[in-house]
Amino acid sequence: LESAMRPEERNGVAGRVRDQFPVGMRVLAVDDDPVCLKVLETLLRRCQYHVTTTNQAVIALRMLRENRDLFDLVISDVHMPDMDGFKLLELVGLEMDLPVIMLSVNGETKTVMKGITHGACDYLLKPVRLEELRNIWQHVVRRKFGNRERANVDGYEECNRPSNADFDNVHSQITCGSPDQSGRPSKKRKEYHSDEEDEGEESNGQENDDSSAPKKPRVVWSVELHRKFVAAVNHLGIDKAVPKRILELMNVDKLTRENVASHLQARHLPTLFNLSSTGPEEKNCANVMELSDEEKYRLYLKRLSAVASQQASIVAALGGSDPFMRMGAFEGLQGYQGFTSSAALSSFSSQGLLNRNNPTSFGIQGISVSRPIQIATGNSTISHSIGDANKYHLSLPGTSNRQGNLAHGLATSIGQVQLPQKWIQEETQDFSTFISGNGMVNSVPGTLRSVTNSPLLQQDLVECRQPKGVIQPSSSANSERLEGTVGVSSSLMDSHVSQQSGLPSSVFSASALPMNGSFGSTNIAKLGATSSGSTNICPSNDLRVARNNEVGASSFGSVILLPPDTAQTEKYLNFGGGSSLRHNMDGGNADSLVDPKFMWSSLPTSQAPSTIGSHHPLSQRPSNGSLGIKMIEQTSASASTTAPQTKIDMFISGDMLMPKNTSDSSFPRINSELSSSSCSFDGLLNSIIKVEKDDASFSDDLGCDFYSLGACI
Amino acid sequence: LDEQFCQIEDLQDEASPNFAEEVVSLFFKDSARLMTNIEQAIEKNPRDFNRWDAHMQQLKGSCSSIGASRMKNECTSFRNSCGDENDEGCMRSLQKLKREHGVLRQKLGSYFQLLQQAGPAETATRPRGA
Repeated sequence: LESAMRPEERNGVAGRVRDQFPVGMRVLAVDDDPVCLKVLETLLRRCQYHVTTTNQAVIALRMLRENRDLFDLVISDVHMPDMDGFKLLELVGLEMDLPVIMLSVNGETKTVMKGITHGACDYLLKPVRLEELRNIWQHVVRRKFGNRERANVDGYEECNRPSNADFDNVHSQITCGSPDQSGRPSKKRKEYHSDEEDEGEESNGQENDDSSAPKKPRVVWSVELHRKFVAAVNHLGIDKAVPKRILELMNVDKLTRENVASHLQARHLPTLFNLSSTGPEEKNCANVMELSDEEKYRLYLKRLSAVASQQASIVAALGGSDPFMRMGAFEGLQGYQGFTSSAALSSFSSQGLLNRNNPTSFGIQGISVSRPIQIATGNSTISHSIGDANKYHLSLPGTSNRQGNLAHGLATSIGQVQLPQKWIQEETQDFSTFISGNGMVNSVPGTLRSVTNSPLLQQDLVECRQPKGVIQPSSSANSERLEGTVGVSSSLMDSHVSQQSGLPSSVFSASALPMNGSFGSTNIAKLGATSSGSTNICPSNDLRVARNNEVGASSFGSVILLPPDTAQTEKYLNFGGGSSLRHNMDGGNADSLVDPKFMWSSLPTSQAPSTIGSHHPLSQRPSNGSLGIKMIEQTSASASTTAPQTKIDMFISGDMLMPKNTSDSSFPRINSELSSSSCSFDGLLNSIIKVEKDDASFSDDLGCDFYSLGACI
Repeated sequence: LDEQFCQIEDLQDEASPNFAEEVVSLFFKDSARLMTNIEQAIEKNPRDFNRWDAHMQQLKGSCSSIGASRMKNECTSFRNSCGDENDEGCMRSLQKLKREHGVLRQKLGSYFQLLQQAGPAETATRPRGA
């Protein structure tokens, strides 16, 4: 943590020298119940946090308004006499951009849901236990990380672990690559660049301008400003709510497009989401959740492309298109992550997405659909990205929808991720990967892929696409997806593509997404075939999809792999947690699902555990089902971290590519690796790449294997 | 009392040696207040179940924070009665609550006394023992 706790240092408050975040994290606790408050305070002190308490929300607000930098995190009760906990939550989120955790005796789902949609990072049940409090610091880190991406914040180094740096780099790369992409993304890109190098790449022409300026003064989104923002978005419709137009409508001085885009991605999407018709598709990017996942994914994708030298072209392709896509995707994805924050997301995805399995529902699958799925989970972010992505290719989804199930599941869960991916892929347009974007559409898997990995996938998708030309957009309907997804892994894809040889659908393009190929699975039937081809390549399973049908799930290479079958999609949903990949695996094809691993990897943060389960698909293909499933199960949990999943997907696809199931055993490893590497996106890429390279290698460390996966793909 | 109480005790350390006791007495004070509120609400706002429920939720939160499980369960059943709009049920639960509360207070009181007595003998960190 070189920058060591930026917040602390910067604040200069208490001049505390935090040598080791999370020690010394400053928490503000609000609860009208004195007993509870006291207990809470003591527990927090025990965790070595610095605690300030108050039993009145108004006092808390005042303290925060006076100096927002005084605190890193806020914990608040839901039921308070002077102000509703949710209201406080919203205000704090809006004005101060601080992570807020809700606390209550009431653990009913709808109440928890309310908390999440209002932007809570977490929701704890009373009585609060020490262990639970020990983990809350991750929310701070995550937020910073996400912010950084968006806002080019200089820094959260502190939060960032060294590995993050890597990720950033990837991001930067990715972002750079795409510069030419849409101007839109450019904004996003910039964000990425914020930290990393990008310098060269940023020039991408697009709006990079901001990116080069790493530090952007943060805009304080006052309630009023936010209202305008929301109104503008509503007016435009979530789909069309691009930062530029929003900005125009808002007509606020000194507000830049980036600010808006960033805000869009950020957590506020959920609120937006609520505002706008959350229609089933939620395409809205409501998920502002912090695109960071998406971004990450994109970066990852970029990275992948970068990694796969061959993919260089891809990268290029991606770069242009991707940047945008990715950004969008990432952003969207990130949004996911935002979502992930909660299980809510995962729950969504699974619920929303998978349940959807209805092929039609998957519409999202088409990627565009997927987006909604994402939304389901919270994807709001995705919607965001998707919007863009949707632009892209999501059109594809039309075809894929069939995948419906897969796509659904995937899409839903993945959708979040995937969508981004798709976009990415789409962006790369070059790629036939479109599929990837579309692929998702195709079978949801594609989307899934994209989604699942979203962070990862995207890249892959993007990347993959290029090289492969998108893996086979051929199946396009389904296979496309595969491709799309596969494309993601670009590196992976390549492999897949080849793999697929038979599988048109499998196109999964090894690119991480290949797994997606599977996604298409049922519909895809082809995909099934292809899917396997695709990254997840699990030739058969690819994503299980083949199997199941929807394998798409599996294919997602990372997360998306899930579940090919609608039923499985649920698994995917897990991806949300990361498991998305895994679903595919469940298809039985665990083998290809290697993704599961990836998935987790992408999830590393959260999902990893789940996805890893899914990874199995990769190697295991046939037997993997269990693996994948495992992962999926796990991932489902993580779902929230959507981002992580993607990674996994990616890998998995890598593995999958390798039909070798060698990974089977290895996957599990990878899973662990993947998960560990939350930052390991790069690792994922690497792993993926590696995967390509060595099928076997895949097994050893998924984390690393990503690279190979990519390669494999 | 459930394991939450153990956690509370665990939180006790040199920095706050009487933590458990402090929390418990705080609880009793606060819960007495809350229960009075509830009684008043029942009196003044008959059949205003929502209001009763809100109060009870607060009490429940307190109980769970220190691990008073029996009381917490009573709170839950009170709330259920509210949900069913069951006047009688509420009254009964409330009575039980008061009883449990009294019992708990007694027992914990003795508990802490014992601790105090045993204290000096055990460790030097115990502040008491003059």
